[in-house]
Amino acid sequence: MARRFEYAQAEEIRDAFARHGVRYLFIGKSGAILLGYPDTTQDADLFIEKAATNNAAAARALLELGFPLNDEQVAEIERGKDFVQLKSGPFDLDLVFAPDGIEDFEQAWRRRVDVEGFPVCHPDDIIRSKEAAGRVKDREVLPRLRAFRDYWVERNR
Amino acid sequence: MATAMEHARRDEWRAEFDAAARRSLRTRFRYAFLHTYKPVLDDAGYRSFDTTAAYREWCARNLPPWLGYGPAV
Repeated sequence: MARRFEYAQAEEIRDAFARHGVRYLFIGKSGAILLGYPDTTQDADLFIEKAATNNAAAARALLELGFPLNDEQVAEIERGKDFVQLKSGPFDLDLVFAPDGIEDFEQAWRRRVDVEGFPVCHPDDIIRSKEAAGRVKDREVLPRLRAFRDYWVERNR
Repeated sequence: MATAMEHARRDEWRAEFDAAARRSLRTRFRYAFLHTYKPVLDDAGYRSFDTTAAYREWCARNLPPWLGYGPAV
């Protein structure tokens, strides 16, 4: 079982992805937590731009971070699956190439928020994604997350 | 119109948001990320799905409902 995700590991992602030129955004509850949302979660969710060169760069960065990907798994990431779940590396990571509720990486990228060097989806995109996913756990968190969005907008006005 | 209970809940959340805003990002990480075993979900080191819809469907079919990964009715 992977250890819990720690700040130093987020820094490792940020630095390795920067070295390999990966375009990505923190999304989901982990993204909201980076923005200041107080809650708990188990893994980090990364929205990765689905493009051949970016997919390949992400695979190289993940290998460098210590994720034990075999050749077939690397090939799958390079080809561009929509969703890849990694639970055998130094921490749990979900790679989301096509999140629910977000049409286009470029638009989300333009709306991104920089938090100490971490690229994070705008709270509106995080909320849209959870609304569209429509899972029980998303519906439970949405009222408080919407309240946080209002709070965050007010603080960052 | 918001009820008194909804107002109280909003006030409580705002106090939590204020408290979180006073913490460093490093401290927020320490409080936020946990790791507990999730049956089925944690039993494979790698999974991939061609579409996000296929992942959602897999979750709905295979994970215990109490994990909350199924569709909200």
